Amino acid sequence: MARSPQLKARTPRIWADLPLTVKGLVVIALPLVILIASLVMLYMAFNAESRAEEDVRRAFAIQRDMYQVHSLLAEAGGGVREFILTGEDRSLRTLNDAQELLPQTLARLDEAIEDRAVREAYEVFLSLSDQKLDGLEQLAEIATEGGSTGAIQQSLNSNRTVLDELRLQIDEIQRLEQEVLDRRRAQVDAVRELFLRLTAVSAVVGLLGSLAAVFLFSTGIVRRVHLLEASAERLERGEPLPAFPDDADEIGQLAGKLDRASALLRARESDLRESEERFRLVVEGVRDYGIFALTPEGRVATWNMGAERTKGWKADEILGEYFGRFYPEETRDYLPEAMLGRARRDGRAEDEGWRVRKDGARFWANVVVTALYDENGALKGYAKVTRDMTERKRSEEALRAAQKEAVAANEAKSDFLSRTSHELRTPMSAILGFAQMLELDQDGFHERHRVAVGQILKAGRHLLSLIDDLLDISSIEAGGEDLKVERLEIEKLLTEARDLAQPLLNAAGLQLDLEQPEQTVWVLADQRRVTQVTLNLLSNAGKYSPADSRVRLSARVIEDKAVIEVEDEGPGVSDENIPRLFTPFDRLGKGGTNGVKGTGLGLALSKRLVESMGGEIGFYNREGSGGGSVFWFSLPLAGDGAQGPRAGTAARAYSTEGSA
Amino acid sequence: MTEVVTSNSIQSRRILVIDDEEANLLLLRTLLEREGYANVRYLSDPTKAVEELIDFEPHLILLDLMMPQLDGYQLLEAFRRQASPDRFLPVLVLTADKTIEARRRALALGAKDFLSKPFDVIEIGLRIANLLETQILYERLEARQSNGSAS
Repeated sequence: MARSPQLKARTPRIWADLPLTVKGLVVIALPLVILIASLVMLYMAFNAESRAEEDVRRAFAIQRDMYQVHSLLAEAGGGVREFILTGEDRSLRTLNDAQELLPQTLARLDEAIEDRAVREAYEVFLSLSDQKLDGLEQLAEIATEGGSTGAIQQSLNSNRTVLDELRLQIDEIQRLEQEVLDRRRAQVDAVRELFLRLTAVSAVVGLLGSLAAVFLFSTGIVRRVHLLEASAERLERGEPLPAFPDDADEIGQLAGKLDRASALLRARESDLRESEERFRLVVEGVRDYGIFALTPEGRVATWNMGAERTKGWKADEILGEYFGRFYPEETRDYLPEAMLGRARRDGRAEDEGWRVRKDGARFWANVVVTALYDENGALKGYAKVTRDMTERKRSEEALRAAQKEAVAANEAKSDFLSRTSHELRTPMSAILGFAQMLELDQDGFHERHRVAVGQILKAGRHLLSLIDDLLDISSIEAGGEDLKVERLEIEKLLTEARDLAQPLLNAAGLQLDLEQPEQTVWVLADQRRVTQVTLNLLSNAGKYSPADSRVRLSARVIEDKAVIEVEDEGPGVSDENIPRLFTPFDRLGKGGTNGVKGTGLGLALSKRLVESMGGEIGFYNREGSGGGSVFWFSLPLAGDGAQGPRAGTAARAYSTEGSA
Repeated sequence: MTEVVTSNSIQSRRILVIDDEEANLLLLRTLLEREGYANVRYLSDPTKAVEELIDFEPHLILLDLMMPQLDGYQLLEAFRRQASPDRFLPVLVLTADKTIEARRRALALGAKDFLSKPFDVIEIGLRIANLLETQILYERLEARQSNGSAS
């Protein structure tokens, strides 16, 4: 009992799992086979019928032939009797006919008889017929030879019984044949009945089978195809698919694939929706950029928070409105359309300019319009990103103003220096000019006046150089004069300074020695300033050197600097005074009697000049019997600096001297 | 044939001095008188310079750069516009502005020479004489050329 539902379940299962080809074959072949079988049976029934008819015909033929044999023999007997009576040969013609026709008829009979019992009877019939014919022939012979009447009578009698026996035998055969015929007919009827029944049954079975096949087809295939169709429709609508029997045939596989496709599609759709949602949230949440879409006609289609914040309209106030209203009156007529046109032509249009908020306030915006096209290349609309640049614009303007101010300040400073220079030098011009005029005429002067004119000139010139140095220092401190740093060769700088200073020093009775570096040295410096400093140091050395002494100008490389030294044989500077050397107006030995001329600004100016080029300046007393001072300043080497080996010994000598 | 430019012909040239500082004008007057120049006009109001240029037709101009109302650069431009192209009118610029920029600008605007104030009185005398000598030679060359083309 327990197995039967299982079996029941398994049978449709097997059917369901059959491939469609096999199913189709079964559905088409089953009724076909039944039809052919019933046709065969009909044919067989027809065959049996025709055989039965044949049997009847044959039975009739046998009957006819037997009667013919009988009649031939009877006629022959009649003829013989007539011959006996008449003796006319003509009467024997029937006997001749019998002799002639009998074998043919008998042969036909022999052929026609099939049934064994009939044949036995026929054998008797045959012998009787032969006996009869023989008897008749014998009788005819006796009569011909003129035999005795008794012999004839005896022969006649025996003949007569033979014919009767023959007659009886015919009846017997007829009876037998009828029996056979009846039997056969009954047989044929039975067969026909059977076949008709079978045909009817097979027709019913065929009909039922076809119905079953159609039912199976409709349940197994059509129903499932409809299910698939419904599933496909649901897939199209994006709805989840109903459970589908997971049969192993093609439809089952198709259903499985559809199911997987649906799952995949749903997963993708959900991913897409998620990413769209994320994107939407991001766009909507952006506060610093107004991001919105425009229809191809330029009407607002979407609106984000940034747009609301930047432009002041809420989404429900602005959706569907033409975007030209964001533009101020002076550009509203042409710029919106021009932007869209440019976006269509170039794919993208960018603009920076004034836009208007809902409340009418203006803001400086950076706007990018991008044309959007669908996959067929039809314009779908525009994406517009607006950024409020007012702050940046303001800071840019502030920066520009600050720059302008700085430039103006710089100009004012230069102007001030130039004016100061003018204001201070103009009176000096008159003072020195007139003093010089007086000096030219001094031959007629009293001695006192001559001295006075001399003092005016001297003091005036000193004042002038003071003014010049002061202006130089303030110009450097104000960063006024532009530093022109370039790659310079030390050798040339020293030679130039030597050539300029030589006459001055020679005039003071001093000898200037130039000691060039051992290798070519390149520095990064402003030529004019280097020369100015070198000349300053040389003139300084000239002022403090005793007569007939030597001044030495030299240069060397120490680490990443070129160091230029000016050495004299002067008295040097006491250690406590060294720090004051480079302070403005702090002239050592001020008011002293050594008659040293100078403004007291030269070293301070030199210090500023050297430092402006990234170098250092310093002083040390030369040790030894002769004494002497060394002023040095350094300059940064150019990238490829010194050519050849560095003077390590020189560096050591410098550092020991420097520490002294 | 050599023609010497005599000191007499130099001293008779017309010189226009423009400076807003009376002291400087006086200094230059003293200097020029001492050098023997007889034909000198002194102008402390630069706005009348162009008028004076047309009226006086100087052979040399001594010009201060830094003046109120109208500065020397503007005057240099005005002179250039005013002067006929075939006339040689040297301008000696005198200024207390000793920056290289001032020097370059003045020379670029057509000044023939440049001296910083305070100047050396001997040097300025020599420069004035030199410029006038050049001016005379130029004039003679012009005259000879026009004579040559006329004959």
